[in-house]
Amino acid sequence: MANQETQMLDDMISKGRRKMLGAGLTSLAGMLAGALAPSAQAAAFTDADILNFALNLEYLEANFYYLAAFGTTIDVATAASTAAGAPLIKLTGTVGTAGTVSGGSQVPFSTIEVSSYAIETAIEEGKHVQTLLTALGSSAVAQPAINLGTSFQTLATAANIPNGSAFSPYASDENFLVGAYVFEDVGVTAYHGAAQYLTVKANLQTAAGILAVEGYHAGLIRTTINYLDPTGATIAGYTNLISTLRATLSQAGLLGAAPGPYDANPDDYGLATFSVTLGANATTATRITDADPVNEIAFARNTTQVLNIVTGGGAVNGTAVVKPAVGVFFPAGMNAGPNGFN
Amino acid sequence: MDKLKKLIDGAFSRRKFVVGAGAAAGATAALTLTGCGGGSSSSPTPTPTPTPQFTDADVLNFALNLEYLEAQFYLYAATGTGLAPADISAGSSSSFQTVGTVTGGDAAAVPGLTPQQQEILNEIAYEERAHVRFLRSALGSAAVPMPDIDLSFFGPLATAAGITTATAPAFNPFASFDDFLIGGFIFEDVGVTAYSGAAPLISAAGVSLGYLTAAAGILAVEAYHAAYIRTSITGRAIAAGSATAYPYITIANQVEDLRAALTVGNSAPPSTAGSVETLLTLPTNLTTPSSIVAADPSTAVGFARTVNQVHHIVYGSATVGVSKGGFFPNGTNSIFATTTA
Repeated sequence: MANQETQMLDDMISKGRRKMLGAGLTSLAGMLAGALAPSAQAAAFTDADILNFALNLEYLEANFYYLAAFGTTIDVATAASTAAGAPLIKLTGTVGTAGTVSGGSQVPFSTIEVSSYAIETAIEEGKHVQTLLTALGSSAVAQPAINLGTSFQTLATAANIPNGSAFSPYASDENFLVGAYVFEDVGVTAYHGAAQYLTVKANLQTAAGILAVEGYHAGLIRTTINYLDPTGATIAGYTNLISTLRATLSQAGLLGAAPGPYDANPDDYGLATFSVTLGANATTATRITDADPVNEIAFARNTTQVLNIVTGGGAVNGTAVVKPAVGVFFPAGMNAGPNGFN
Repeated sequence: MDKLKKLIDGAFSRRKFVVGAGAAAGATAALTLTGCGGGSSSSPTPTPTPTPQFTDADVLNFALNLEYLEAQFYLYAATGTGLAPADISAGSSSSFQTVGTVTGGDAAAVPGLTPQQQEILNEIAYEERAHVRFLRSALGSAAVPMPDIDLSFFGPLATAAGITTATAPAFNPFASFDDFLIGGFIFEDVGVTAYSGAAPLISAAGVSLGYLTAAAGILAVEAYHAAYIRTSITGRAIAAGSATAYPYITIANQVEDLRAALTVGNSAPPSTAGSVETLLTLPTNLTTPSSIVAADPSTAVGFARTVNQVHHIVYGSATVGVSKGGFFPNGTNSIFATTTA
């Protein structure tokens, strides 16, 4: 049905999106150029490749929360996990190399606020694994090797958290929140970055729904840390250090491409307050939301950026992409199909 | 530049989804927007009915109406004043040109806040205003002006939810921090579901233009806000020890009951199969989960609402064919302003 006008429009879109600026509807794509490709080296990919990338992240998150809440991995039931209603996950994914989960132990929770949140999040991340396994069927990747022990000490040290080489997210309510903080905002940016590449509407709807849940989790963690440490003397202060590290790793993952509005440098903020002007008055605001400070739209990251964060810098060597990315949480790398992201 | 704009407008109108009866090619979008009604397969009548249609600009303008409402609420709560005139004006090419006003009711800066609570209100107010400005910037001359907004509707809404009686003092979300949390609760989960429902409506051209990514990013921020509100209510209830000691958790769930009833086409009670609402719970021991996240109980995937369902909620009416009411006493400035089944 294309006629001359639509052909001209297509031409303009493909040749130079910035030309659209100034039109009745402002093009955001020009500002986005270069920042949101799923992966610089990927020639072709499918919805399944994107969902499998998400599945690797969900394996990571779900096992962390199951270990913290119940003391077991997602494929092992305990009395506690069963009583709480946490699903027992059958590891039906077969693509790639199955690995084992190392490290982690049940947190000796002392407050209902934190324990109830941990249990809820475990259940929901477990269901995300289940949902993606079901959606992917025989295309689902296997659970890769996951390190949930020493990886936290490595990252805490890199983030300059005091006594980071001895940091354990399983030691206390407060430490658990810091461990959870490492993951949740990253999940938001990963789903946000991927949404536009999903071609099947149902997959987009599912991804948008999981994005929302990751946003709820991130908001929950950040709200609770803010309540427990309103002055930023301890764990709220650590969030700034972790966000700085994530932003640095994310920036390296851009490989020199110009950042877009959803991937500014930095593309991550901890809980330190910031200045805003409301009405005529300058005042201060919290940062429960991890978002671009001008437009207040959550950040988005491409797969290389996400990989570089969860592997502690394993995805990039100078200006070259390292594939598979290996390090910290994924000691043998993620599992991916032939054209997938790892 | 004018010629370019015409080309783009033309292309948008050509790529728009078709809504309503008899549009086989746009069946998915039609179902999403109109619920179960409007199927024409049983009708052999070939009479061509005018089909309502929409563009990406219409979808973004729908979101802008909601952001106007949220921004006004949070700005009044945080500072005692609302959006500035420059943030509510009409785009030159918008078919809506009348700039609305705010009926404030009890709208005022929430008293008695701790410094930490004030900083939270400042943050949300700032972020919702940023969303207004962002959408207006993206829409350019197509941006609709702010419609009339009635912030005194919280009182009747609370009565409809069974929170207050018609004879008792009206519910006032600006009276205290806890009342503010309920006011925010009324909006935030709805905002999440509205963006989730609208995201798939964006055309392929709109995806290329970055609209989907923008909408997804705002969706995430609405989820952060919703989590803040739900975590605060749950945490304060846990600290108080019971719903009797902290009745706001019960009030929030009454709001959910009302929202569920107003979600026309899917009005299952909250936390039941098919519902798009998740009730808050009050954990009283170290082995019970909370319910901060509003999501499907079997898949943990967040909910979506249609544009129509969102309109029913902000109008406070399950009636079909209503074009105004509730928070929008003269309707939204939107082609979706009239409710359907």
